[in-house]
Amino acid sequence: MFLNKLHIIPLLLILSSCDLIDYHPYDGRLSSSTNTDINNKSIKRIEASCKDKDIIRFIMIGDTQRSLDETEDFVEFVNKRNDADFIIHGGDIADFGMKKEYEWTDEILSKLNIPYVAIIGNHDIIGNGDYVYKKMYGDENFSFIAGNTKFVCLNTNAIEFDYSHPVPDFGYIEKELKDERQYSQTIVAMHAPPGSEQFDNNVKTVFHMYIKEFPSLLFCLHAHNHNTSVNDLFGDGILYYGCSNMAKRSYLYYTLTPDGYTYEVIEF
Amino acid sequence: MDILMKSLNFKILLILLVISNSTFAQEDIYKKRVERYQAVWQKLIPRYTKFQFAGSMGMLSLGTGWNYGKDHWETDLLFGLVPRNADRHAMATFTLKQNYYPWSVPVGEHFSLEPFSCGMYLNTLLDNDFWVKNPERYPKGYYSFSTKVRIHVFAGQHITLHLKRPRRYNKSISLFYELSSCDLYIISAATNKYLRPKDYLSLSFGLKLQIL
Repeated sequence: MFLNKLHIIPLLLILSSCDLIDYHPYDGRLSSSTNTDINNKSIKRIEASCKDKDIIRFIMIGDTQRSLDETEDFVEFVNKRNDADFIIHGGDIADFGMKKEYEWTDEILSKLNIPYVAIIGNHDIIGNGDYVYKKMYGDENFSFIAGNTKFVCLNTNAIEFDYSHPVPDFGYIEKELKDERQYSQTIVAMHAPPGSEQFDNNVKTVFHMYIKEFPSLLFCLHAHNHNTSVNDLFGDGILYYGCSNMAKRSYLYYTLTPDGYTYEVIEF
Repeated sequence: MDILMKSLNFKILLILLVISNSTFAQEDIYKKRVERYQAVWQKLIPRYTKFQFAGSMGMLSLGTGWNYGKDHWETDLLFGLVPRNADRHAMATFTLKQNYYPWSVPVGEHFSLEPFSCGMYLNTLLDNDFWVKNPERYPKGYYSFSTKVRIHVFAGQHITLHLKRPRRYNKSISLFYELSSCDLYIISAATNKYLRPKDYLSLSFGLKLQIL
């Protein structure tokens, strides 16, 4: 009888690895097939494939939250065009911060032929989403170098945290400023732009001054507003490009050349 | 002073005597009242113990509840545990669950089958990081949903073993399984053709030990 009871334990273990067994939408328990450490893995691929390249082409998307069908179409479209080196997801992978939303979205985006990195958005933090983000994507602030351009990706969703969690993290920015690797220009990417209700607007000017310390700040990228936009937010010629949400079926396509850059709004 | 105390003591004794006399006369009425009173409260004694594994309400939930309406209805109160994961602490949950069994079919001498059960449950995380209303730091109406409370619907099947005297410890034992989904999963599924039933359905198993 006692042995019979013990038989239940392996049975439960098998069951708990089944997709249909869900402990809670916010349990943070990833399926065994879910990708982890995605950003670091992608960064390795990006840095290797873009090394010594003069021309870098990348795509900026954002707010895929609950637009899985459109995201699927996007992946098919981009794979067919085959004209970019990598993709930056500007955040809001999930809509409700649920673990399953993260998994569904990466299940689709992992079918891309090129690597993608994802920045944390405010909808990715609610519930216990930030813990899922950390497990699946990695640190909330990260950077990489493609060709001779450094990309600094920052968590700017200040309203989701209290003061014990610095957003934006100036300590991190300072550390990145001291980066001694070879690069000649910088692009800063984030989810919520300065001035938005998510941003800690008490420090928005300081933030802008700080990121201008990076070698040749070319422009900034953000998502969050669900619209394509170009703004000279601080009147100093540094442009903040906003990409549309995935539901609107459009993305930003950038080409960085030794003489400058061009961009296109592409609809699919 | 002393005289005053004595007279007061005498008066109290007199009052007590009168009260006890009248109580003695009303004992039958009192007895009936106690019986009625106990009968009402007895109805509120939980009638079974229930265990449920998974079902988006915790890894394991344990609770109690009541059958009523010729055993077609059941209301459960369950406490569950969500184990520590993704570097975050474990969480407790509380579930209020309403079950409905339209049919019960006898199978042989000892068993009965409830071929269809359905119902809904409200699940809340007992954790301060989750909210019902947006915390004050957000602009009004910033997020249109609660992270703390989920509404679930389910359908499933039951099989019950009716235990016979004299060796019984419980009146009956039921095994059941359910497929459920919650509000946020249903919203996601309704707006995305990409999602398949395995994505938004949740399978759970349970055991009910009927005591009363």
